[in-house]
Amino acid sequence: MSPFEIRGLRGRRIRDRIFTAMVWSLTFSCLAVVFIILFYLFKMGIGSLTWALFTQGPKPVGEAGGGILNAIVGSLIVVALAAIIAIPIGISVGIYLADNRGRKLSDRVALAIDVLQGIPSIVIGIVIYIWIVKPTGKFSAYSGSIALAIMMLPPIIKNTEETLLLIPTTLKEASLALGASYFKTSMKVLLPAGIGGIFSGCIIGIARIAGEVAPLLFTAFGNPALTFNIGKPVDTIPKVIFTYASSPYDDWHRIAWGGSVILVSFIIILNTIIKIFESRWKVQF
Amino acid sequence: MEGTILRTENLRVSFGATQVVKGINMEIAEKKVTAFMGPSGCGKTTILRAINRLHELTPEAKVEGNIFLHSENITEMEAMTVRRRVGMVFQRPNPFPTMSIYENVISGFTLNGIKLKTDEKNEIVEDALKKVALWEEVKDTLKRRATSLSGGQQQRLCLARAVAMKPEVILLDEPTSALDPLSTAKIEDLLYELKGNYTLVIVTHNMQQAARISDMTAFFYLGELLEYDDTKKVFTNPKNEKTQNYITGRFG
Amino acid sequence: MEHLQEEMASLRNEMLDMYKLVLLQVERAQNALIDSNLSIVKEIASTEKLVNAKELQIDSRCETILALFNPVAVDLRFILSALKININLERIGDIADNIARMVAHSKPGFDRELLEKINAKGAFSMSIDMYKSLLQAFEKEDTLLARDILIKDEAIDTITDESITISEEYTKTKPESISQAIPVISIMKMVERIGDHLKNIAEEIIFYAEARVLKHSK
Repeated sequence: MSPFEIRGLRGRRIRDRIFTAMVWSLTFSCLAVVFIILFYLFKMGIGSLTWALFTQGPKPVGEAGGGILNAIVGSLIVVALAAIIAIPIGISVGIYLADNRGRKLSDRVALAIDVLQGIPSIVIGIVIYIWIVKPTGKFSAYSGSIALAIMMLPPIIKNTEETLLLIPTTLKEASLALGASYFKTSMKVLLPAGIGGIFSGCIIGIARIAGEVAPLLFTAFGNPALTFNIGKPVDTIPKVIFTYASSPYDDWHRIAWGGSVILVSFIIILNTIIKIFESRWKVQF
Repeated sequence: MEGTILRTENLRVSFGATQVVKGINMEIAEKKVTAFMGPSGCGKTTILRAINRLHELTPEAKVEGNIFLHSENITEMEAMTVRRRVGMVFQRPNPFPTMSIYENVISGFTLNGIKLKTDEKNEIVEDALKKVALWEEVKDTLKRRATSLSGGQQQRLCLARAVAMKPEVILLDEPTSALDPLSTAKIEDLLYELKGNYTLVIVTHNMQQAARISDMTAFFYLGELLEYDDTKKVFTNPKNEKTQNYITGRFG
Repeated sequence: MEHLQEEMASLRNEMLDMYKLVLLQVERAQNALIDSNLSIVKEIASTEKLVNAKELQIDSRCETILALFNPVAVDLRFILSALKININLERIGDIADNIARMVAHSKPGFDRELLEKINAKGAFSMSIDMYKSLLQAFEKEDTLLARDILIKDEAIDTITDESITISEEYTKTKPESISQAIPVISIMKMVERIGDHLKNIAEEIIFYAEARVLKHSK
């Protein structure tokens, strides 16, 4: 071996080790941060996970105890309704974009989605306030859902589009070559083939909005009472966390920690579901 | 030509500004195997895909001229109707991954919304799988995912899927180029057997394959049809010098 | 590779037809010579046309198989040997035809006594036996039998060699028989050539069945 090669080799090895060490340590610190937050959160909040937390509404100011049942129900209603609105629209737009690459309209739609993704959530809340809350004269759960649905669209659309683009064109051709209509091809061949990715896109969308407060401030507003009426204002978990955490009462702080634990656990479960389903529903081409 | 099933009339195909197929006039014989061969880019696959109107999926493609199936003009018919009467097998085996073997064979009917009774379906599936010599291998595992089969089996499954629709013509786009030699030989034997009952048009890069299984061979070059004759004549004494250069491997 | 095997089977059948046709010709030639049966000469002439047609048919099929199927190994050897066997069989047919013509058109006639002395009948019979063995060797791919034939050919060669000497002596004692003796000698030569062609065919059978080349060796 010539002297040149030996020299280069040692330097390369050192640089390689430094780089590897850097990557490891930064990754580790990221993970460490996550674990520290989760650890602290659960430490503070685990004590608040009482039966009362889940089954009672808030007590009037000054009284001890109480729970966030109204907020739990409210979150479920608002998120579910948002999903019902956003998922069909999102998947359809995703299908359109995947099929019409290069067309002017789809370029513009893609641009619009990117812009939408960047709009601050509070701005969306204000827009819905003006479009729906003001004309109807009241805050409501459904207006909050609409705001959240708008926020859910970009991840659903993008995931659907990307999943469908991964499906080889030859599958679409095989179906069309049998004489199938475009609609049947999408419904019976393409969507089933992409169900894993599309499903995870929807879950990602839900995870994203589950913890939102800003858009709901002007739409769903808040409601200490338990209600199942989507025409009425509702409380949501992140909203009550905000309210209780910023209050001067220790008791309410306790409830806020409890709510945080519930919310974060929900997000963790959703993400786990995504991972499980992605591997189980993976389709081989 | 007697017993013609397909006829092209000044068929031209262009992609954007490039003219890939330049005025093809040819007749394809019924219940025979016709091979399209030629160097890459000669237009043979383009012509094949024009027959079942697949170019409509490509916005830049423009197909001009006429193609007649018996006496009906393919270019004027409803695309879906054409495709039900003209089946296709692709280069890479593409069974539907979310469907079982059984469902794949019958998929031509389900995707077209044709309702069948269970025994009708069973009969169609068994018949098609027997025709492609796959029945014995899969008859006990029909409910398994189609993707659990080997490459050669998957391609035979795709052939069964096409055959189940009882098409008048089956188009095959390099059906064995993605397969190992043993699977290739099995499929060639199959095609040789099928030709008594089906008209087959096969695009192939493999000249020896064209020689082995086809009755008529068409040689294309740069979008034109240079020679079209009995396979035996083409391979023992081709009329066109370019044909001879191609099959003897003297081509650049 | 069904298609190829079908073609090879057809080729085999065509070759068997050729073998049998030419055998018939040789037997008829013997008949014509030994029994002076002139009617049979006409049959030989018309069958000669069939033999020629069959030769062309076999050549064409070999060409087709080579062009379309790129045969290898035993299939390739079979075809290469078929082409040569074909030529040899056709030549044998030619010789039979020539013998028949000589019998029909020879003005001086054949000296019967000389014919007996040189054992023309025996030589002919031997060659026909050789031929039948050869046909069997081909049908059964029996290379032992084929090797046997190589030895038998030597026996025929011996008879024809001796026939020269015998004829020489005969014509010395009976000089007036010379014009009738010459055709007899020619015919013996032809019988010898039949044996040679049969030997060539035997070598080709051994070539294709064993991939051993015995040509030009001892």
